[in-house]
Amino acid sequence: MTDTSTAPGQGFLSIRGLTKRYAGFTAVDNLDLEVPKGELVAFLGPSGCGKTTSLRMIAGLVPATSGRIVVGGQDLTEVATHRRDMGLVFQSYALFPHMSVAKNVAFGLEMRKVPKDEIAKRVKEAIALVHLTGKEEHRPAQLSGGQQQRVALARALVIRPSILLFDEPLSNLDAKLRDEMRNEIRDIQRRLGITAIFVTHDQSEALTMCDKVVVMNQGRLEQLGTPVDLYERPKTAFVASFVGRTNRLKAVATDGFADFGGQRFAAPGDLSGPVEVMVRPHRIALAPTGGEGVAGTIMRATFAGDILQYDIDVAGQTVSVELATRGGETVLAPGTTVALSWRPQDVFVYGAAA
Amino acid sequence: MPAAVAKPRRNGLALVIALIAPIALVNAFGFLAPVLNLARMSFYEVEPTGTMREAFSLATWGKVIADTFYAELIVNSITVSLGITLLTLICSYPIALYLHRSSGTWRTILLVLVISPLLTSAVVRTYGWIAILSENGLVNNLVSGLGLERLRLMFNKTGVVIGLTEILMPYMILALLAGFGRLDPRVEEAASTLGAPPFTIFRRIILPLTMPGIALGCLLCFVLAVSSFITPKLLGGGRVFLLATEIYDQAIVTLNWPLAASLSILVLVIFGAALVLYTRALRAIL
Amino acid sequence: MDERPVSPALKLLAFLMFAFLLAPLIVVVPISFSGDSYMMFPPSSWSVKWYPAIFLDGKMTAAFWTSLLLACAVTVLCLVIALPAAFALVRLRPRGAEALSSLFTAPLLLPTIVLGLAILIVFARYGLLATFPGLVAAHLVVTLPYALRVLATALSTLPIAVEEAASTLGASPFTVFRRITLPMMKSGLIGTTALCFLVSFDEVVLSLFMTGPRIQTLPVAMYHHVEQQADPLVAALSVLLVVLTLLVVLVVDRTSGLAKTFVK
Repeated sequence: MTDTSTAPGQGFLSIRGLTKRYAGFTAVDNLDLEVPKGELVAFLGPSGCGKTTSLRMIAGLVPATSGRIVVGGQDLTEVATHRRDMGLVFQSYALFPHMSVAKNVAFGLEMRKVPKDEIAKRVKEAIALVHLTGKEEHRPAQLSGGQQQRVALARALVIRPSILLFDEPLSNLDAKLRDEMRNEIRDIQRRLGITAIFVTHDQSEALTMCDKVVVMNQGRLEQLGTPVDLYERPKTAFVASFVGRTNRLKAVATDGFADFGGQRFAAPGDLSGPVEVMVRPHRIALAPTGGEGVAGTIMRATFAGDILQYDIDVAGQTVSVELATRGGETVLAPGTTVALSWRPQDVFVYGAAA
Repeated sequence: MPAAVAKPRRNGLALVIALIAPIALVNAFGFLAPVLNLARMSFYEVEPTGTMREAFSLATWGKVIADTFYAELIVNSITVSLGITLLTLICSYPIALYLHRSSGTWRTILLVLVISPLLTSAVVRTYGWIAILSENGLVNNLVSGLGLERLRLMFNKTGVVIGLTEILMPYMILALLAGFGRLDPRVEEAASTLGAPPFTIFRRIILPLTMPGIALGCLLCFVLAVSSFITPKLLGGGRVFLLATEIYDQAIVTLNWPLAASLSILVLVIFGAALVLYTRALRAIL
Repeated sequence: MDERPVSPALKLLAFLMFAFLLAPLIVVVPISFSGDSYMMFPPSSWSVKWYPAIFLDGKMTAAFWTSLLLACAVTVLCLVIALPAAFALVRLRPRGAEALSSLFTAPLLLPTIVLGLAILIVFARYGLLATFPGLVAAHLVVTLPYALRVLATALSTLPIAVEEAASTLGASPFTVFRRITLPMMKSGLIGTTALCFLVSFDEVVLSLFMTGPRIQTLPVAMYHHVEQQADPLVAALSVLLVVLTLLVVLVVDRTSGLAKTFVK
């Protein structure tokens, strides 16, 4: 396993022990994170995992209960939002409804007392950057959702913030527009070399756009790593099941080995007792009975065009298997017995408590 | 979303106090103190000469309770107000239902027509009623034109009831409209496909669904009728005795403030009773 | 709402009731052009003499200016007092905010006749009766609850994210309020202004308790006039007032949507 986190103090954005407690529950629990300059880092997790609260603490919109937020060596924990110099792109865009596109974009520069002619120049550039030239005098209500999103982006970029924050910015767009904006945001962020944090509950967004991903669950950091790390080497059962799809199978471990359907897997550490064994559906190979592997009986076959999906009963548990179709394969009928096999590196074993 | 969990920050108490101090001052000086003082004053003593003395006396209350004039006044006020409320409901319901079913610009125009009277002084509207109801007014000139005897429509309860009904209608219409929010046209359509004729739909579907609006409107109108006094004064011409007009007379003309105070407290008691009835009715409906 | 056919019976009934509702406002128009010296409907002759008569009536003109000045003063004070209070109660959420808003809007629940008497008794003690400041204070008691309610609703329906966006862009809390919150509350502010102005300008019950021979508001002057003689002068005056009201309503409707402001 490669440790991709940077040592404390090495990041441009450094978060140490960040915690937010509300009466009765902890929204964010002791978050440590180092983000190097120029990286795009995703905060990924289910709703209520603390990712948005973390982002809002970084922006200063929610006061932290404890912990520090340091940017470029300067401690911002006690600094008011309007002095933090961060750009935030909101889920709802939060455009100023009573101002034109140009006025929206110019607002942050006006607050910084930038000279008028320079404001005009930079607003023009920012609007061009998000391909909205010609819409300067429109009101937000006259724009489509995608265009509003671009205005929000331009407004956050134009102030050249030290850090750019995104709070689920694409969740209100339709699928096609979302893909387009994904690439655009990624390109702009790379081109400008801005350090950015991108909160999302959509794993494909996190995996495809970001340099690194922070997976959060119940206020805690589950894993920090590159998209490949998370997918191929998930540290916890939560990460394995949240990032990509996986079979979660019950097994019992003894002496460092888990037993499932007559096969033994190395269990990490000295796990013993009930464990969870995880294998991704498309990393399982099927062979006729008698071949290598675990014996199972097909219960249901579903043909979904690009994949062929089987639900297979293995010793009383259902294993989902997906095979990419190449054309010409026969769909196995329910009741057929088969042998399931996989490569050792595709299997993860976790304590069942997780 | 976690964002929703984040409550607005509790800022400094000093700031809050500074921001609400002016309104609190007006409230304390113009509302709380006067009302508490009013309750206290209903126990003051009034000497036969008319002078008022600070004391704790039940004399005024004794007079209000024992004197049949006041008992009649109360009963009169309540029955007249109930009648007005019922009439207001009957007159307002068609307008509200029609408004609920209209749409677009037409609806806006009708809504303006409903609200405009509300924003016009009761004096102006009562004056209009004088023009309609007086001896030389619209109705009587029509009636005598037909060769019939002129009617006494003013300076009696009839005039007061007609005038107040019209004056309270906008309140009733708005309350009904608010209650009509629950009226989904698809429910009526469903009843219709199940074989209910229009009147049955009205009785079994529309009426029960609009009950909360009806209850609210009735409460509002009853309360306003009990406490109104401009219209009873002008259309009643001093010949219709109601609680509100009596309070004004005692306060301004007779200058018996303790008596006016105890009658005011009585009005509040009637309010309270109406409110209790309303909550009971609402619970029975929902 | 979908277009649905309305039964002719309902239509007819509704229009009859509309006629009843608007009758007193409509009849004052022809009466104001009456040539008679006392009220009679229909008038036996026509003239426009009653309109200039209003401006020659010293009592009425004085009362009009008093009312106008009073309504303006009350409206301005109302905004100045209610806006900070609404902000404090909605945005800063002190402990007991709910109880405080109930207390501040409670004067609306009290019948004005009771409130008028209560204020009369206390204000008499401080020599505030029949004075301009006394009238302003009494009117504030009833207009502030309206203002607080409308402004609090306007504030609480604003998307907070927009204000947060402004603050991430570097706007200080005061700048956020001035440049973002206030402009976004525009329709609420217009509604409040119109409502306070009309409530104060039309207020008659409290004013009856508070005025005297020294100072009179227009509705009070009209009330006393009608009490003594219901001549066409009041009709002409009423027409002017109705036109004024309609103008205010139309302006509000144009700028912020009437339904939004008054029906919620």
